[in-house]
Amino acid sequence: MFSPTPLRDILLVAGFELREMLRSRRAYSVIALYLLVATLATLAFVQILVQADAVVKNPASFIIGGRPGQGRGGILTPPPAIASAPSQAVLFSRNSPFRGLLSSMLTEKDTLAFILSKPPIALFYTLISFMTLPFLIMITSSETIAQEHQTRGVRFIAMRTGRAEFVLGKALGQGFLMGLVTLLSGGMCLAIAAWQLSDFEWGPGVSAVLLFWPRIAAYGAPFIGLAALCSMNSSSALTARAFSLLGLGGMWMIHTIASVYNGVDVPPILNLLDLGVPNSHQNALWRPDIASVGSTMAVLATLTALYLAIGLFFYRRRDL
Amino acid sequence: MSAAPALLLDAVYKRYGRIKALDGLALEVPAGTVFGLVGPNGAGKTTTFAIACGFLKADRGTVSLLGDGPFDPTRHRGRITALPQDAALGRDLNVAEQLAYLGRLQGVSARAIRGEVQRILQLVDLTERARDRTRTLSHGMLRRLGIGQAFLGNPELVLLDEPTNGLDPRQAHVIREFIASQRGQRTIVVSSHNLHEIETICDHVALLERGRVVFAGPIAQVTGRNDEIRIALAEGPVPLDAIRAALAGDTVTWDEKARILKLVFQKQPGRTAEDVTGTALRVLLDAGARISAVNRGQSLESKYLGLPDATPPPSPQA
Repeated sequence: MFSPTPLRDILLVAGFELREMLRSRRAYSVIALYLLVATLATLAFVQILVQADAVVKNPASFIIGGRPGQGRGGILTPPPAIASAPSQAVLFSRNSPFRGLLSSMLTEKDTLAFILSKPPIALFYTLISFMTLPFLIMITSSETIAQEHQTRGVRFIAMRTGRAEFVLGKALGQGFLMGLVTLLSGGMCLAIAAWQLSDFEWGPGVSAVLLFWPRIAAYGAPFIGLAALCSMNSSSALTARAFSLLGLGGMWMIHTIASVYNGVDVPPILNLLDLGVPNSHQNALWRPDIASVGSTMAVLATLTALYLAIGLFFYRRRDL
Repeated sequence: MSAAPALLLDAVYKRYGRIKALDGLALEVPAGTVFGLVGPNGAGKTTTFAIACGFLKADRGTVSLLGDGPFDPTRHRGRITALPQDAALGRDLNVAEQLAYLGRLQGVSARAIRGEVQRILQLVDLTERARDRTRTLSHGMLRRLGIGQAFLGNPELVLLDEPTNGLDPRQAHVIREFIASQRGQRTIVVSSHNLHEIETICDHVALLERGRVVFAGPIAQVTGRNDEIRIALAEGPVPLDAIRAALAGDTVTWDEKARILKLVFQKQPGRTAEDVTGTALRVLLDAGARISAVNRGQSLESKYLGLPDATPPPSPQA
């Protein structure tokens, strides 16, 4: 199944794939669209932060109110600690509405404290990457191997290396590409924050983005595996993309249904299926401890390998 | 070079749904030859290539390349290359990058790849387009690039599916000359509809019809080039008895309808085809015969078209 120099071949295919994608107009279009969406969303989010800043720093917003009607219209001089505090753009922890929202969503105290200690822009970058990266992967990565089947270009490669090396190289090349794109979108988020928020600090922002970026990459990996699975067993790019998006929808449905059960009386088969989709491991990537995040990354890497192995099982038997 | 056949297929069957593409195909390509595979559309030439290259899996039958079993990239990497039919190289990298990528995958070292790419670019006359993206190349140039990649490195067996299809006459000639020059250095299998081309560059040929080999062998044997002389005569006397007397021991037949005198001669030391031709022509001219043409054997095309029924008998598996 493997050639005598599998790693060398995988890296050769990956390097070629990356170079080809970086010169492909179609890939540029899709990535530009992704970055545009990320930029617009970030701009909208930054405006919310600016509004939140205005609310917190406006003394009129601090209203006494123990009972209905009590102290309405009263103005409290903001405590010196709040008046001199950094902008809300820097930390969520100083903004009670956001803190309340996150507290209601997150039950783990450590995770809540960890998240509240990070700049909101980095959190937003991570959140939007978790939400949109799977779509980007399904749209771009799902075509790459199927396109080679459609043009029969795979026949030039199949005489020179094994099918496994070819597929793994393609997937790795897509991984490199998605890594670059997510890093680029992180940089854009930071740049927008620096442009729009007066109190923005580059240091904490960059370190937080770099802290979350490997988690985003790990989360994207199984989707690349799924895209490759669909791509290697499709004869045309269009079919591969359709299968990939269906697969993505299926994963989303499995996780949503499992979430509705909320851990209570989950049917075993659904529980098992849910463990097999990356969506169900997303929350663990927000945790502060390296051990927990590391084990989640290992699970995601295993899922990636599983999807690729399933794809290769059929791919080895198909005609090219 | 190995003494084992470069390519051996035995009782190979392949179906596409209800269509029988190969029907017990048996083919042996001797090592070091330039081997032509001819046949009408749908005869199974491309399927034969695809099975030999491992792109398709045979339903059953035996395939062996270079005496080392069916195609396996682990065993055959760099030893076997192909020009697949209708396969397109990537469109977004330039010509030199494409060749370098394929060469590196094939096992050419990073140090040697630059020189190797230059050699191939010169071979297929694409040096000036080395930095152009493949998407900008014409159909003929892409074909040349496809041929070029098949000669990267030092392959022992090269399979070329319709190599000169779409090339202009000059380029087709250059490619034919190059393929012919490889005889003895490596085994080349060429499929083509162009029988004249096959006859020009190949030393062995096989005709496929409906997934079976109808005839196969050295070109000289198939066309009778080494032991057969055909003399076309215009209206006039035909001194058959005099020729038979002059060429005693040889077979002389006369096709009245086509007005062709066919001489099948015995090869003997010191007696060449030219000697036999000279004897026959002297007798004919002395008798006042009017000679239209003289040929050694028959062309491959005549052999192909002259087959009374190239259709193989129904197979027991049908």
